[in-house]
Amino acid sequence: MLPNESIRRVLEAGLAKGADLAEVYLENKESLSLTLDEGRLEKATQGNDIGGGVRVFYGNNAAYAYTDDLTEASLIEAAGVAAAAGQNANNAQVCADLTKGESPVVSRVERPFEEMSTQEKAGILRQMDDVTRQRSPHIVSVQCGYTETRRRVWVYNSDGVWAEDDRSFLEFQGQVAAQKGEVRQSSGAGVGGQVGLEFFDDRDPVKMMPEAADTALLMLDARPAPAGEMPVVITNGWGGVLFHEACGHCMEADFITKGASAYTGLVCEKVGPDFLTAYDDGTIPGRRGTMRFDDEGAPTNRTVLIENGILKEYMWDLTEARRAGRESTGNGRRQSFRHMPMPRMTNTYIDAGPHDPEEIIGSVKKGLYAKRLGGGQVEIGRGDYVFTVTEGWLIEDGKLTAPVRGATLVGNGPETLRQIDMIGTDMSLDPGRGMCGKGQWARVSVGQPTVRVPKLTVGGTE
Amino acid sequence: MDYLEFAQDVVSRAVERGVEAEAYVNVGQNTSVNVDRGEVEKLSQAGSKGLGVRVVRDGSMGYAYTSDFGTESVEKTIEAAVTLAEVADGDAHRTLPAPRPIPEDDLEVYDQAIVDLPIGRKVEMARRIEKAALRFDERVVLTNRCTLLSQYGTVAVANSKGIAGSYDKSFIGGFVMAMAADENDRSVAFGFDFGSRLADFKPTAVGKDAARKAVGMLGGRPVPTQRASVVYSPMAATSVLGALSRALGADAMQRNRSFLEGKIGETVAADMVTVLDNGRLPGGIATRPFDDEGVPTAATRLIDEGVLQTALHDHYTATRDGTASSTGNANRRSHATMPALDASNFYFQPGQETPEEVIGGVDQGLYVESVMNTASINPVSGDYSISAKGFWIENGELSHPVNEVTIALPLQELLRNVKAVGNDLTFVPMMGALGSPTIRVDGVMIGGLTAEAQ
Repeated sequence: MLPNESIRRVLEAGLAKGADLAEVYLENKESLSLTLDEGRLEKATQGNDIGGGVRVFYGNNAAYAYTDDLTEASLIEAAGVAAAAGQNANNAQVCADLTKGESPVVSRVERPFEEMSTQEKAGILRQMDDVTRQRSPHIVSVQCGYTETRRRVWVYNSDGVWAEDDRSFLEFQGQVAAQKGEVRQSSGAGVGGQVGLEFFDDRDPVKMMPEAADTALLMLDARPAPAGEMPVVITNGWGGVLFHEACGHCMEADFITKGASAYTGLVCEKVGPDFLTAYDDGTIPGRRGTMRFDDEGAPTNRTVLIENGILKEYMWDLTEARRAGRESTGNGRRQSFRHMPMPRMTNTYIDAGPHDPEEIIGSVKKGLYAKRLGGGQVEIGRGDYVFTVTEGWLIEDGKLTAPVRGATLVGNGPETLRQIDMIGTDMSLDPGRGMCGKGQWARVSVGQPTVRVPKLTVGGTE
Repeated sequence: MDYLEFAQDVVSRAVERGVEAEAYVNVGQNTSVNVDRGEVEKLSQAGSKGLGVRVVRDGSMGYAYTSDFGTESVEKTIEAAVTLAEVADGDAHRTLPAPRPIPEDDLEVYDQAIVDLPIGRKVEMARRIEKAALRFDERVVLTNRCTLLSQYGTVAVANSKGIAGSYDKSFIGGFVMAMAADENDRSVAFGFDFGSRLADFKPTAVGKDAARKAVGMLGGRPVPTQRASVVYSPMAATSVLGALSRALGADAMQRNRSFLEGKIGETVAADMVTVLDNGRLPGGIATRPFDDEGVPTAATRLIDEGVLQTALHDHYTATRDGTASSTGNANRRSHATMPALDASNFYFQPGQETPEEVIGGVDQGLYVESVMNTASINPVSGDYSISAKGFWIENGELSHPVNEVTIALPLQELLRNVKAVGNDLTFVPMMGALGSPTIRVDGVMIGGLTAEAQ
């Protein structure tokens, strides 16, 4: 982006008032999005977002300034603004030689987005629309979207860090509404990843649409979900969003170092059953949370969060790692150059367990099977969470007997994790549409096998 | 730089390519201060700018954006928008709006005092938020994310039909999470306040509010599963309004994505329910002279004493409707997104009773102070099931704190079951600018303990 001599001068401007560390972050994001609604390609948007920021540390405190004008002069001005937040006459750091970092993670797009025309991309949306409408005359609304994003980042700091990453994301999503008389129900689906057009070699976004249509149609005739406590079996794959929200966020270091998380001080303690192991892995090829380096230039890792039920490690960014006097785990992420980094999950999942998934459902006398989950939310301090079940089934005598709609799951994350009594052998990652909000948006992946919680509160209307 | 002139210049350059064109320019300065135990933990300040270009040719629309205002970049952006319009499908209702007179009332959306506020004062305000939380009660053990935000800037919109306008805006806000703990329990709560005027912003109240809620919830427990009356605090009641505002959008109605589709002129709510959208509310968070496609904002009565009157419109939905006119509700999240229909200051009209009187009218029920997962409320089906925290109401008074319960009732029934409306209209700017007084709804399903588990 800019020559290293320019970067060095910006870093030195950041250190000028006696800061301990200065960092430069540069970003170039290009994106294209298409929306097909009512069978028409209605919205087509393309754009470019370029900018950079300078962060300066005085001890544990950090100041940040950014600019959308990527010249050495503008960055030096930003460095001056950030440096002015502190003053330490006794400290005179110099910028170390910038050394280009190596990462074992390969992020290479085989076929760039440009190799397919916008018309062809729109054509896929038209096919998605067609198959959905053909599913039933009760389908009253179909909306399909395509987004491609290429985000290139450059991170440098005065300790000599020089990291570059080039991340390409492709995603398709669809929303369906069905109607019968006065009853309306909706459903959605999505698929994608960190990938170029080779995505189409083994995946087909058109295929997910009939299933999404079927969920909306099924829910038209579904009865209202029951309310109260009962055993709940949660689906594999996207079901891992529950672990992500209810437990993962409580293991992010910013809440840990403050003492504000339910998991503070519990490393080496038992937090789940013996057969539960969970990871945050920023190195899995092609996943949404994968990075060669995080947004602070640290290489990503496969971090063991929980091993055989014992809490092993939290997720750290540079700020919290400095505070704790340790290394980052490569979890420092930011939405854009307009944001300061914070500890975030990457690809987070519960590993396969010992139980046959069919036996898990078969073991429940009366309960709920959460086949499709929507979004959820957690209150990190206590770990209280809530989730929407977009497709739920009653389990009676070990069998799925009737679809139910409008179910919600509530509970306490750490408590639910302790209670899990069955984990399936069928671990899978989600289809690639996860977006996590924590004041800033970040693409993530989640995953898990089929999981049983013996007693969970279900919020329904019956 | 005169941003309106720049927007007009972009339009005239685009028009040369035989399209209708619109330019949207947003330029601003942002500061964010984060304090922890009195120290400035994170501080961020910068200016940013953006241009969005929308072109329409024969009803086909294309959109492109950039943050680089240089001639070459602008040309590239126009070119991209024109090219995308060639890919898009035509729709006869897709045009750009013509100018309408914009009333010159003072909307109080710009306060020079916010612009002039030195960084030192911002830091001091953030510290006051934190201090107020920590001093409220000895059980408040820590704060997290104690943040002061301030922004100011300019918006300019111009199009080839002759729309040309710009305005300045300012914003100040703060929030904090307080954690309370005693020997048996811990609880967290958020406090926040946002506004367009410095004089209205009360940092101390932000901290106190978070602390009061966190301490109050200590020892919370679920209650048995049952159908009961629920009294919503203003903040909790806005959970209903977010989904309701989407269901009331003409866009959702025209595309069969609203549970209120086809119900205009019908009774959809209890007669004490009146719902308004007012883009000209003085000092409101979502207040502005014209919307993000240049149409003057307005006050719109959507539900009047229980009867559905009209939907929210932007220029496209109004054109498509044929008889409606835009209510000035075109909105963009940033220059990078094309305008989409959204509510402005959207609220339940307050009634006569004090909040205490509303609670006092309930023998046994749940007072809901805060809710989670409001994004799950479905404007298509009306399905509504969210988690809630608050207090059990016993003989018209708040008794023990309640947590880990759900509240559920389809929105169709919820609107009809409103039994009391308070006089304490409060805006909650965290999810747009939704406002509500305390309201009571009967027959809500509370999901909690099963009978055996008690």
